[in-house]
Amino acid sequence: MNERDVIVIGGGPAGMAAAIEAALAGLSVDLVEQRPTLGGAIYRQQADGGTSPVQSKMARQRFARLSTALAGISANMRFSSVFLGLDADGFVLIENRQIGRIELIRSRAIIVATGAVERILPRPGSELPGVSTAGGLQVMLKETSRAPQGRVLLAGNGPLLLAVAAQLIRLGNPPAGIVEAGDPLRAAALSNVGLLSHPALLAEAAVYLKDIYRAGTPWFRGTRLTRIEKVDGALQATLCDRHDAVRTILVDRIGLHDGIQSNRIGLPAEQTRTGSAPVVVRAGDCREALGAVAAEADGRRAGLLAVSLLSGIATDISVAERAIARQRQAQALITRSFMPVAGGSHLASLPDETLLCRCEGRTVGDLRQLLDRPDPISDREIKHNGRFAMGLCQGRFCASNVAELVALLRPDASKPTPDGLTGQRWPIRPVSIGALTRAAPEDNCED
Amino acid sequence: MYRRDTLPATNIHLMKSIRLHEISGSPPSTAIVIGSGIVGAATAYYLGKRGVAVHLLEATAPAAEASGAADGAVSVASKRPGTMMTAALRGVALYRDLARDGLLADLYKTRSTFIIAASQAECELLEKHREALLDAGVKAVALSRQALQKRFQVLSPNALMGVEVHDEGHAIGYEIVHRLVKASGAFVHRDTPVREFVEAGGRVAGVVTPKGVMTADAMVIAAGGGSANLLNLDNVLIPRKGQLLVTERAPALNRAMPGAIMSGRYLLSKGSQKGTGALPSRGLGLVIDPLRTGQFLIGGTREDFGDRQTNDIDAVRRILLAAVDLVPGLADVRLLRSFAGVRTAVIDGLPLIGRLPGRENAYVATGFEGDGICLGPLTGKTIAQMICGETPEFDLSDFDPARFMAGKVAA
Amino acid sequence: MNSFRFLSKNIPFNEGESIAAALEAAGIRQFGRDAVGHEIRYFCGIGACQCCLVRIDGVIREACVTPARAGAHIELVGADHE
Ligand SMILES: Cc1cc2nc3c(=O)[nH]c(=O)nc-3n(C[C@H](O)[C@H](O)[C@H](O)COP(=O)(O)OP(=O)(O)OC[C@H]3O[C@@H](n4cnc5c(N)ncnc54)[C@H](O)[C@@H]3O)c2cc1C
Ligand SMILES: Cc1cc2nc3c(=O)[nH]c(=O)nc-3n(C[C@H](O)[C@H](O)[C@H](O)COP(=O)(O)OP(=O)(O)OC[C@H]3O[C@@H](n4cnc5c(N)ncnc54)[C@H](O)[C@@H]3O)c2cc1C
Ligand code: FES
Repeated sequence: MNERDVIVIGGGPAGMAAAIEAALAGLSVDLVEQRPTLGGAIYRQQADGGTSPVQSKMARQRFARLSTALAGISANMRFSSVFLGLDADGFVLIENRQIGRIELIRSRAIIVATGAVERILPRPGSELPGVSTAGGLQVMLKETSRAPQGRVLLAGNGPLLLAVAAQLIRLGNPPAGIVEAGDPLRAAALSNVGLLSHPALLAEAAVYLKDIYRAGTPWFRGTRLTRIEKVDGALQATLCDRHDAVRTILVDRIGLHDGIQSNRIGLPAEQTRTGSAPVVVRAGDCREALGAVAAEADGRRAGLLAVSLLSGIATDISVAERAIARQRQAQALITRSFMPVAGGSHLASLPDETLLCRCEGRTVGDLRQLLDRPDPISDREIKHNGRFAMGLCQGRFCASNVAELVALLRPDASKPTPDGLTGQRWPIRPVSIGALTRAAPEDNCED
Repeated sequence: MYRRDTLPATNIHLMKSIRLHEISGSPPSTAIVIGSGIVGAATAYYLGKRGVAVHLLEATAPAAEASGAADGAVSVASKRPGTMMTAALRGVALYRDLARDGLLADLYKTRSTFIIAASQAECELLEKHREALLDAGVKAVALSRQALQKRFQVLSPNALMGVEVHDEGHAIGYEIVHRLVKASGAFVHRDTPVREFVEAGGRVAGVVTPKGVMTADAMVIAAGGGSANLLNLDNVLIPRKGQLLVTERAPALNRAMPGAIMSGRYLLSKGSQKGTGALPSRGLGLVIDPLRTGQFLIGGTREDFGDRQTNDIDAVRRILLAAVDLVPGLADVRLLRSFAGVRTAVIDGLPLIGRLPGRENAYVATGFEGDGICLGPLTGKTIAQMICGETPEFDLSDFDPARFMAGKVAA
Repeated sequence: MNSFRFLSKNIPFNEGESIAAALEAAGIRQFGRDAVGHEIRYFCGIGACQCCLVRIDGVIREACVTPARAGAHIELVGADHE
């Protein structure tokens, strides 16, 4: 069977940059992407191949640069292919959805660049149709260049809400409002002079804010969305501001977003010793969620690291590391600006019936009951007996909320980690049994 | 992990009551149970019911080892004829009682096991096995190919014949452990591995843990694979890995299965019936269990080598091929999780249950290979009965640890 | 314009578009109920949440990351799973 040097998982900026670096050094490279196109979360392309008008000029330029570089090397592209994990025998498991079977691939190194998932806090009613993540809305509008119909409310925490709002405005459907738990204007003005050393960020923010201001979109700062209900075929959102004043607003769509976290559930552990087992390096948001610029730099770093590990040639990753450090600093400033204000902990104030885990239908009350005993039960017991992080999403959406709520409910015991709850097993995504029965080393696949 | 570096104030030091209970046959005041798998949890539960203050010392956390990585067939169907079959019958009956009494009502699923033959050789084996089951008093009904198709419509035509073993069940190990530990009232010491014993005059007076020495009137070693180290039984207890799979929920297909499926080949893999040729070092015995949740648990392998915690695509593919071969509808269901666990087997195929030779207050219960979920509650109950001076309701002489141990307890 | 069948309806789609995007354009936002009883619907858009499952020519897939295919037959997972 022909072993390749490097297999890169994920076609976002991190994966693209990693593939480019590895191939430029003469290594054979495969790039695996579940979608039919490259770009990842930030440079997501229109489904028909064109570039969406919602992409900023800078984003277009950066993506064009990566695409051109990638076109100049000979990486083997595997689209509509889902990475399932690394098995005990060192096989990289790829579900090729075009032919409906699992391909087993040998590779000396694996660079995992599966990006981020959004952090979504539990709220009563967030399981209803019409409620999606704000990023989910963005995926649709980038792929289709159509705005979702009806009144859209964006709610949660963080700069992505502003980006999506600006994009909705550009496509002609300004949101009914943006609900933001923090108060970034005030925080930035008060303490964040550091942001001045990141002019690109400020410029981006200024563009969004200008569009939002012009469209007259209300921006409710220091406010939380605490409940969603179905009312007459629409969605009624309950908003609670920093003075605990409550109001409701009737909309058709709600986009939730409470931050970004690494999409690393079940991924193989990093492994930088060369030997019989493949080298495993993580890159981009799945290693540390720091945004697009850092992801690209981190992809380069990972690519160069793989080159030096596989070929013994010393590579210089210091430039990439400096770029990442700078973005880390910028993200820290952003996080500080968007720090939720007042109102106590969102998690602690949730009513018992709130779904914590949608997949298995487990509630905040279920967790409270599980912990209602003197001895501090372990992560695994919380998972098994609470059925948290056991469902179809494998904990991608509930594990961090469960871990945080456990810490709140049990302040003197050590805090569980999301990884401790989810474990590290393949498949990292549910996969067709039929496709698994057709698993075969790649060379036998062309029958 | 949650560490507690201080021992609780309830630390046991009640040496004075020791002699009393042995003379009078009354229960001891305190007991240490080492290991909180299903066997330790059940022992704690039955001791607790008898008024004994139990400290459950666990190296990591309850159900962290075999009991948390098991299938969970509570079944006579696969047992080797003889004592194990008799024991399993009692084990199943106890689950039924516990379910009826309410303790396990929502956790124990009653269902039939269908042993399916897909080849002529398996048919013959199955017929022999059915006779053994009948002899043991089990309701085991032979189903022809046609009868099978009618009773079990989602089964593939590859099934040549089957035996329906009635009144069996399924229980998820970690759920049972959780329930038993909670109901036992035992004090659970997580992250507290026992390193060695403190011996005094033919007794095990205490145990040494990283958190200090703890003493109690009675000691039970239910440490699964960890028992090998504690008792110097490395040549007697052997690890046997198993890989298992869990699917997403598929309620319609789940409902269409009137019970669990066990391939005739499983009997061979488990050595329940001797086949031709030696046991392969990596056997595959197919079991498909429709769970209460609408999911399926599909197993499994028996492996005497290799990394214990991992899953490999070769095994997973072969398990699933066998599963789809018998239930074609599974091809359209998705695999959600794979996992692996280690069974602790005894070289002669029978568990070790009983008093440690030469130690009046110490007991061992381990070595259940692939039967500990089924036999765990029964074992806990009989050990508790022995400790409390009652006559055990089940004759344990075939399982007497003395068969492998001289008078000395090592640790 | 290309189209696929969703239950008994013909759903038009643009080349390359995901099934979720095409259904959204057709005003369909709920794809039956899952085994736990929740309404199946688009949520994360990146294949992670598993809340948008449909059965495409018999195979369960996330509607959000699966490109629409002309002539495909799309059913609810609940139809078989329920
Ligand atoms: C919904 C969403 C919206 C975002 N919007 C913005 C934004 O507007 N501006 C901004 O600066 N940042 C945004 N981010 C952050 C964004 O993740 C980073 O800026 C950047 O895209 C990270 O690059 P990456 O290469 O690490 O990951 P990504 O760009 O996320 O790329 C990961 C790629 O891996 C693929 N993938 C994932 N799992 C598998 C698998 N198992 N098998 C095969 N392929 C897989 C994905 O399809 C994706 O193409 C967003 C993130 C999310 C989740
Ligand atoms: C893949 C697989 C499938 C199976 N299927 C079935 C089935 O269908 N039906 C069935 O009946 N059985 C089945 N079994 C077998 C069953 O799981 C075991 O027989 C049973 O769980 C054993 O329970 P135990 O309490 O003896 O051991 P364990 O569950 O292993 O518990 C022992 C405990 O002791 C702890 N420990 C170890 N050393 C120390 C120490 N020094 N100090 C303190 N604590 C210690 C461990 O951490 C562990 O928690 C299966 C097992 C496997 C692996
Ligand atoms: S919307 Fe989350 S997986 Fe499709």
